[in-house]
Parts: sequence; C-alpha cells; structure tokens
Amino acid sequence: MPFEFILFIAMVGVFAACAFAIKLPVSLSMLAASLTGLLLSGNGLGIRHLVEGTFGYVDTILVIATAMVFMRAVQESGALDALNVVIIKRFRTMPAVLLPLLMLVAMFPGMITGSSSASVLTAGAVVAPVLIILGLPVESAGAFIAMAGILGMIAPPVNIPAMIIGGGIDMPFVGFELPLLLLTMPLAIVFSLTLGLKHIKKVSWEELAPRLDLETYKRFGPRLFAPILVVAILMVLGKTVPQYFGMGLPLVFIIGAALACFAGKRFNPLKAAKSAVADALPVLGILAGVGMFIQVMTLTGVRGFIVVSALSVPPALLYAAIAITIPMFGAVSSFGASSVLGVPFLLALLGKNQIITAAALSLIASLGDFMPPTALSAIFAAQIVGVQKYSRVLKRLIIPSFVIIAWSLAFIIYSKQIAALY
Amino acid sequence: MKKHQTSAAIISVLTLAACAVASATFLEHRKVEPIVSGPGVSEIAKLSKWYPGLAGTPADTDVYILRGKAPGASMLVLGGTHPNEPSGFLSAVLLIENAVPVSGTLYVIPRANNSGFSHNDPQEGAPTGYHFTLPDGQARFFRYGSRATNPVDQWPDPDVYIHAASGQALSGNETRNLNRGYPGRTDGTLTEKACYGITQLIRAEKISISIDLHEASPEYPVINAIVAHERAMPVASQVVLGLEFSDIKIGLEPSPKNLRGLTHRELGDATDTLAVLMETANASQGRLRGRTDEALVLTGIDPYYVKAQKLGRLYVPYDEKGHPIEERVGRHLTAIVEFALAMSSEYPDSPLEFQGVPEYQALAERGVGAFLRTAP
Amino acid sequence: MKIIYLAIGASVLILTVWNLWTEKDWRKQATAAMVAVPLLLRVLLIK
Repeated sequence: MPFEFILFIAMVGVFAACAFAIKLPVSLSMLAASLTGLLLSGNGLGIRHLVEGTFGYVDTILVIATAMVFMRAVQESGALDALNVVIIKRFRTMPAVLLPLLMLVAMFPGMITGSSSASVLTAGAVVAPVLIILGLPVESAGAFIAMAGILGMIAPPVNIPAMIIGGGIDMPFVGFELPLLLLTMPLAIVFSLTLGLKHIKKVSWEELAPRLDLETYKRFGPRLFAPILVVAILMVLGKTVPQYFGMGLPLVFIIGAALACFAGKRFNPLKAAKSAVADALPVLGILAGVGMFIQVMTLTGVRGFIVVSALSVPPALLYAAIAITIPMFGAVSSFGASSVLGVPFLLALLGKNQIITAAALSLIASLGDFMPPTALSAIFAAQIVGVQKYSRVLKRLIIPSFVIIAWSLAFIIYSKQIAALY
Repeated sequence: MKKHQTSAAIISVLTLAACAVASATFLEHRKVEPIVSGPGVSEIAKLSKWYPGLAGTPADTDVYILRGKAPGASMLVLGGTHPNEPSGFLSAVLLIENAVPVSGTLYVIPRANNSGFSHNDPQEGAPTGYHFTLPDGQARFFRYGSRATNPVDQWPDPDVYIHAASGQALSGNETRNLNRGYPGRTDGTLTEKACYGITQLIRAEKISISIDLHEASPEYPVINAIVAHERAMPVASQVVLGLEFSDIKIGLEPSPKNLRGLTHRELGDATDTLAVLMETANASQGRLRGRTDEALVLTGIDPYYVKAQKLGRLYVPYDEKGHPIEERVGRHLTAIVEFALAMSSEYPDSPLEFQGVPEYQALAERGVGAFLRTAP
Repeated sequence: MKIIYLAIGASVLILTVWNLWTEKDWRKQATAAMVAVPLLLRVLLIK
C-alpha cells in the first residue's frame, strides 16, 4: 500500500472526524486535515505551505467578498424586492414563464461571482419567500434556490471550476460562454418547472399584493435597477473590450455597491458591508482551507496518487469514475474536485472537444456543493427557507443531480457533435 | 475582557505568528543567489541598459556578456524564463561560470524573469530551492521559483490576457508569463516591459541566434524538443542531427504561427535573430508527480511518473532512474554547443565557438556541483 | 490599478478582522482569521 494512500486516508479521516464528530466548520476541518498531512509526511507544521496554499484563491476571495457586498447593497436598496414585484406582477398568470424567470434571478449572482453560495444567500434569499408565497413547500423552495446556486455557478460569464480545469492544461477560459449556456439553461428551465410547477397555486393579485414590498418600486421607480444595470454593462464591456474595461470583477462590484447606496432605500453601507462579509466568511474560509489542503496534497504526493489512480481506471469505466469520484470529492469542495480530478480526467479525454468537455466536467464538479458534509448550496438554502435539517432539502435534489450527471456525460460523449452545432 | 474577545485575541495572536513565520520564508526567497563569473565573462550589464524603463524595477536583470578573442556571430541564451524550470537557469549559470568563447559573443540572461525567482506558485508545494555540493565542500543554493512574475510586483491579473501585438486572448494569469508577452511594449505590464527589454537587446546587439531554455512536465506533448522559428529551421535541423551523434534524441517542431507572444514566434518575427526554444523533462512541475521536494527537482525520480508511463500517458520515456538534473542540463548545454557549430557551418563568415562548456558525459559522471565555482 | 486593488484588499481585510472581533463563536473567529492571512500578506506586499 503506497504511503500516499495512507496519508490520503488520514487526511480525509481527520477532515471527516472534525466536520462530523466535533462539528467544526469545513474551513477548520480542512486546516486540521492539512496539518495532519504535514505532520505525518515529516514536513513539520509547514506553516509556509499552509499560508502559501491560501494564495491560490486570494483573487477569488476578493471576487466573492465584493460580490457579496454588492448584492447586499442591492438588496438593502430594495432593488431585489422590486425586481420580484415586477416579475410576479407581469408573469403571475403564466407560471411556466414565471418559474424559469425566478430561477434566472436566483442564478444571477452565481453567474457573475462563480459562487453558488453568493447566489443562494443573496438572490436566493429574495426569491425563496416569493416561491413560498406562490405555494411551494419550503423544501422545494429550498431545493429551487440551491439548484439555482449551482447552475448559476456554472453558467457564464464566470465559472471558476471550468477556469481551474482549463488552467490545468494551459487552456484559456475563452469560448466557454456558449457551451456553458447550452449546458445550464435547459436544465434551469426543466428544474424550475419540475420543482415548482405542480405546487403553484392560482392566487389573485389582491391576495399576493399585501405580502410583497410594493412601496419601494413605487417610490424610486426603475432607477432602483441602475446599479445592477451598470454592473451588467461593465461586465459585458470587460468581456468584449477588455483593453479598456478590463478592470476586474472586484472593482466592478465596488462601483455597483457604491451606486446602490444612492439608488433606493437608505441604509448604513458600513454595516451592510460588514454583514455581507460575515455571510461570505464561511465560503471564503473554505476557499482558504481548500488552498491549504491542495498545497499539502501536492507537497506530500497525495495529489499525484489520486491523479494517477484516476488515470489508471480502464477506459470502459472512465465515465463511471467521472460520475462517481468528482461529486464525491466535491464533498471537500467543488473547486478542489475540479483541480484534483477535473484536470486529469480532461487529460484522459484528450480526444474530445476540450472546451465542451471541461465545461461538462465543471457542471459535474458543481454537484460537490450538494454533497454532505459541506453541501454549501443545500445548507445555505435550508437556512434561508427555515428548514432545520438540510437533508430535507437535499432529498428533492437527488433525482435532479442524477439528471445533471447524465446530461454532462452526454455532453462529453457527444462533445464533437455539439461543437459542430455552433 | 469578554469571553469572545479573549478568544479573538488568542486567535489573532496565533494568526499573526503564523503570518510572521511564513513571511520570513517569503522574504528570504527574494535574496538573490550569487553567480560567479567564470574566465569568459567580459562584462555584466543590466537589462535596463537596453531599455532604461526597467531600471530600478524587479524586472531588471543581469546580462552576462562573454566576448571571444576573434569576431563572429552572437548568441543570446535565456535561462529562467520560467523560474520553476531549473535546468534552463542552471544551464545559463554553468555557461557563465565555465564557457570561454573563442570566436563570437555569448550573451547570457540567467534570470530572464527576475521577479519570478522571488516566489513559489501557490498550491504547488514546491521547495524554495535546491543545493549542490562543490568539490571543496561548499554548498551552492539556488532558488526554485514560479512560472510567472511575482504578484507582489504585478497585480491584479485581468480576467483575460490580451496579447498586445496580436489581440490573442489567453486566461488572465498568463499576463505574468514572460513567454507570452513578446515582443513586449513600453506602456504595458512589468512582464511586457521585461520582454521589450530583451527584444531591444537583440535588436541593438544584432544577436544572430536566441535560445530560450525551458522544461516541460512529462505529460506535456512538447518535450525533449526544439521549437524553431521558420528562419531558424535549417540551423535547428543540423543541431538535431548533431545531437543524434551524441545519442541525444530530440524532436524538432516548427513554431506555431497562431500561438503568439512566445520567444520562438515573436523574437523571430520582430527581429533578425534566429529564435529557438528548447524543452527538457521536469517532473517537479508536473501534475502527476508524487512527493514534491528538492530531491524530485534534482533527480526526477518519481514512482507515479513511472506508473503513468506504463499507462501510456507520457511523452518522454520514464523509468525508475528518473530524469536527473545533470541529464537535463547536459541536453541543453550540448545543444547550445551544437547550435554554435551549426551557426558556424551555416554562416562561415561569422563563426561562433565556445570552449569550456561542461559536456554531457562529464556532467553525468561528476555532477553539476563539479562545474560550479566557489562563491565568495 | 494595483493601488486600487490593494485598497479593495485592505477594505475586505478590515471587514474580515472586524467580524473576527465582533463574532461570538470562536470557530467563526478562526475561519475569519484563515481568510485574513492571505489578504494581510498581499496588502503588505509580502506574498
């Protein structure tokens, strides 16, 4: 038995013990597992490695933190409530259109930040009450926004797992927009309908109106949406003419947040920013922890062991290995799974269209956010809809998860044919 | 003090202590290791001599000039374009410490991306450096760096890196990759300025041939190879044959026209130099490697690469003997001597001849340390 | 641009440390500390 295998088991064991038995947060469990790996491999405390590992995500930490501040500012200004009013008012009689639209709203923060938690905690927090008003049971509403979280994380323009996977083979994150839209948007429509349609009650506007915040939109009008619009425009410009507008997402979000302070309801920006960062900290902590974990796995050879073992799977079982190991490893983190397993699987699939394959692998990796014990997306969603045990939300996500895996594998298998379509 | 403030204080102190410990290593990494000038070195200049905009920046770097007694062609050797590919840097160091040009001039930039030597890539678990023991017992230490410019010197990365001359888009972190920034520009990033400085040197000194030394991970297709600009093809073909005589197998690939910003494309297009790039096999930068440490950097011995080779996943032969640094440096140095020979035979009016360059066999037998000079 | 990003980093760092000191649960405090480490060393231009 290779020493790296023993190390791997020890690290995962300590992680599980900390996360399940001692109920430490995932970030600290990662830190404990990393320390275990360092000590057992004779690297001492390896402080330099722990600290260096976190730097793999320092830019991502800034993106998520500023995105959360922006979303909180938009929420406090009343823009998200107003957006819901506009959507419900116009589409309430057409649930088949309304549900996908709400899904899109809930996905939006994930699309721009690349973080499912950003979606669930911001737009999800606004959409969920609307879903419940419309008649969805709390578990379904929770599953709805949890699903929006991971689909938003994978949908363009920002998809961190795909960037991580592509980065591993020197493939730029360019040309991913269309494949990612093809991967996520049909699923968004289908899942919004399957999770919601059967529960939607026909409610009259008079009945709904008192439960919605109509005041804000009446008072401020469309200018409420200016910050969202400006951020969207800056992001599009940043993608299309990066020479002039390549200022980066953190700065875009700060500009948007500053605008939101003047666009609608007044709020204390400092307090809002502080609580936004507080909400983001568990996710940011996980990123820091994953950074440490990956650094220690690389240092000790555990990464090589995992990668070469995954590559040793006979070709016939390759797809099964992808379907099982990536989501399982996602329990540690979907980003970690993308880096550790996504890259070697992409290398093993060199004959396929690389962009579509990487995009599909990133979608499978996103399922890590449903995988206990971390299950970020599901845990935050349960918190928001007020369900004590997140497993109740998770149950509604089992079948959709299998659909996601099958859909992603189909994209990989037919990657060349799909690429030929556009 | 309330209870939660006590815990906050304890956690803050522990965190600051960890930061201090790590910072000591990070700052130590900026200390420049000595390179000892050998008998051939006539002048040490700074790259800012050719582009003053670099003066005082972390990208300014030493250029060693070795002039032969007889006139002839000139060769520029770039080591340390990617400071995590040690055979390139070490080959440059051995040239500086040993080579004596007979005819022509040799320019060596051992740390082409000077900033990249001052840090390690996150999540790679790389050692900060590696040692060689000299015959007199002294140990020489060299830093193992990062593929890219230190973010402390150039930050943040854009989401997408646009190569200025062509508009080609690459992922944002390539902004700090020296070998994506050529021919460089004066109003660009620090990395692009370094590229510009090197391009200016080539123009001003009318460098006949430029050799960019690299390493690749064993699972990467371009490895143990020469990549040559189309104008450099005739010379490079001769080198491939010459190396065959020394039992060194090397591939020859044309520089892709659509992959922009690399030395073998841009230096060949933007200047009159013959531009080539060479790769050897380095397990310590690969993704399939096992334990990452100084020994792996120096020996390339790795059980997981042996396994991957059996699975048919690699582009170089790989067995239990690994690919030691002596072999990798030996390949580069032998090829450099072959390039000089080929240049002399292709352009007999401007010969290029070096003596004293450590030979492949001698390196394998005596080790790199035997060819390093005692540092003061 | 570097200065703007250092300022953004410093702001997020301050918000993180503020949370560390106002948070009641030591586990959340420690998580905040983990996030503060890379931000601090980047803002100080050490790493």
